[in-house]
Amino acid sequence: MKRMLFSLLLIGAMFASQMVVAAADLEVNTPAISAIKGSMQSRHTQLAPHYASGAVGLTKDGMVAVRDANAVPLKDRASLNGVVTAENADRAKLYKEIATANGHPEWQAEIQSTFASRWIDKAQGGWWVQGAGGWTQK
Amino acid sequence: MNALSRLVSFFCLVSYSVFAYAVSEISISAARVEHAMGDAKDIALIVRLNQPKPTVKLHAAFKPAKANVQIKPEDWMQFDLACDLPKSLNPQSLNAVEARCINGRLKGTRVDLPFNLEINRLFNRNQLDLNAVLHLKGASFSDEAGLHAAEKLNGTLTVALKQEAQGWQWQTSLDWQTGEVFWQPFYIESGGHTVAASGTLKDDMLHVNHAHLKINRVGELDLDGVIRLSDAKLLDLNATLPKLNLSAAYPLLFKPLLGNTAFNNATIEGDAALALKMKNAELQSFALKLNHVDIVDINNKFAFYQLNANIPWSYEASNPVQLSYDHGSLLNLPLGKTQINAEVNRFSLTAPNIRLPLLDGALSLSNVSAARIRDEWYWHLSAKLEPISMSDFTTQLKLPRMLGKASAEIPLVTYSGGILTTDGSMVLHVFNGTATVTQLTMQTPLGIAPKLNAEIALRNLDLGELTRTFSFGAIEGKLDGDIKALELQNWKPVTFDAIVQSSPGKYPKKISQRAVENISALGGGGAAAAVQRSFLRFFKQFNYGKMGLSCRLRNDICEMGGVESTAQGYIIVKGSGIPAITVMGYNQTVGWSELLARVKRVTGGNSKAVIE
Repeated sequence: MKRMLFSLLLIGAMFASQMVVAAADLEVNTPAISAIKGSMQSRHTQLAPHYASGAVGLTKDGMVAVRDANAVPLKDRASLNGVVTAENADRAKLYKEIATANGHPEWQAEIQSTFASRWIDKAQGGWWVQGAGGWTQK
Repeated sequence: MNALSRLVSFFCLVSYSVFAYAVSEISISAARVEHAMGDAKDIALIVRLNQPKPTVKLHAAFKPAKANVQIKPEDWMQFDLACDLPKSLNPQSLNAVEARCINGRLKGTRVDLPFNLEINRLFNRNQLDLNAVLHLKGASFSDEAGLHAAEKLNGTLTVALKQEAQGWQWQTSLDWQTGEVFWQPFYIESGGHTVAASGTLKDDMLHVNHAHLKINRVGELDLDGVIRLSDAKLLDLNATLPKLNLSAAYPLLFKPLLGNTAFNNATIEGDAALALKMKNAELQSFALKLNHVDIVDINNKFAFYQLNANIPWSYEASNPVQLSYDHGSLLNLPLGKTQINAEVNRFSLTAPNIRLPLLDGALSLSNVSAARIRDEWYWHLSAKLEPISMSDFTTQLKLPRMLGKASAEIPLVTYSGGILTTDGSMVLHVFNGTATVTQLTMQTPLGIAPKLNAEIALRNLDLGELTRTFSFGAIEGKLDGDIKALELQNWKPVTFDAIVQSSPGKYPKKISQRAVENISALGGGGAAAAVQRSFLRFFKQFNYGKMGLSCRLRNDICEMGGVESTAQGYIIVKGSGIPAITVMGYNQTVGWSELLARVKRVTGGNSKAVIE
């Protein structure tokens, strides 16, 4: 009986955590969110060739990271770091703003992990993505 | 077994052909040597003595030790060296070896260092007394992550080293002629830089008695100091940089360090001078001077022209600092000639008064106090905005031109944790009435998604002037309003509870037909059509008793209301007298962007009402 109760609780908890994400409106829009998305969109043209060359990969926590700077000419490496730092600052802000716009700032971590798998699903063939076992090429 | 080194297999073959009782060739080879520092294999050392010029040839493959990493074939680096030796190799002549080694090379997957080496001296009185010159010829290297790398590097490094009673005496000079280097986060695209340095080395303390660095176009730096090599810690430093060319130094040195801050996307002209002193790994003092500096943000968020500064700082004493600029701008608002005097005491700054001319008025700050605690700025001050003309202000911000003056008095402004908070109120004298802003807070005003929260109270605004400014259609009367819980993100409203209505009291209340049409267009139509159809179209102007409109904005939806509710909707304009007109609103909710589009249509001079 006790065991059954525990299982029920566990299932309940799993559903509850699923429901949090299900209930969050990831497409919610506010001026802050559209400003961040706009900034990320205009940066994408800079990042896309780095995704393709493998210099930058998509991390499992919804961020981007310099994977192998050797793929980039020396003169572009400083800007590579800059563009990755700026992208991650925007991404962190985006997750926070989406959670806030949903009226649940505490959902930020789960929104971030949902986005992480979304970005990885949407990644183009040849891009590097981070899984539980490390970097893999899609 | 020796803890440091382990010899797995080592065999030595010394083959010498006896010719006139002289050794003509020495050949040593080893299959493999393992050591805590790294492993070597395929070692072959051949010394040929029976030639007109004796030569020594060395080949080896080696790899630096890495803990818990499997050896891959590509980890081995090949090392080759061939040298001409002086004719006679007797012990006396070892003092001046003059060995010349050409076409030396260290090659691995990420390293390719072709070099020439000249050894001018090796020993003196049986003590090491090295004097050597290394020429790099198109060298390249990179670490695994590619964060420290160089390509096509040509340069000359001279090293002199000898042991004396007080430790090793060293002297070195580097002439970096061409080639590019990326050393996270810095990138140096070409050569022309030199370093000359000398000092002593004892135990793990590297003393630099004097070093002179010349960075092409940027400036020259003189320094001395002490570095502890075991943890690469800089203990003492005296450095002077008498003239730093900021336009060359900014992209090279500052931009990579400014990262994601508001200052990383600017152009800068002018020069700076810096002197600094460190003792026991702590900064003791510095003096920074800026001379005729122009700094302009590429996105026009700020600009300062003819910036001069004299900033002395010392850990021990408080110092007066001065900063001035001729003119500038901040978020499109022009700043006038400004002179700031403050007192800096360790990590805090105080100033009794700072006056920043702004438009035709000024922002006067008093009791300014700022402190940097754990890498974050905290500050507080009192602010007074000396009247500025709204006409200039609105023109600069590309808003509809308003008349009147804005002034403000904020007893306390605090900045803490990236949030700017005000205590007190800002009073704007506009449209012959007042707009009072209270509880103003701002987050990251120069960042990507700035956030502003405030409460605004409008009192006795002259509707005549207001409607003329926004070309809305004439209304005579006065307006009060309360905008509560206002939140702007990226300077656009996302939340507020707003209500505007005619002010209490007796005054003429008239509304033009065009204004009626426009108001009904805002409320979602209805009355305008009625006006057009009925006899009321013969009147250009109507009387009203009261008018008002409210909007509660949440999630991009505006919940609308008027001065009174009815069964079908709400009353926006309640008529009174003859001819009187009542304007109703029927749409209880309107999308915010739709409402903005409607406002734009009616203020854009299009008097055609939107009838839904």
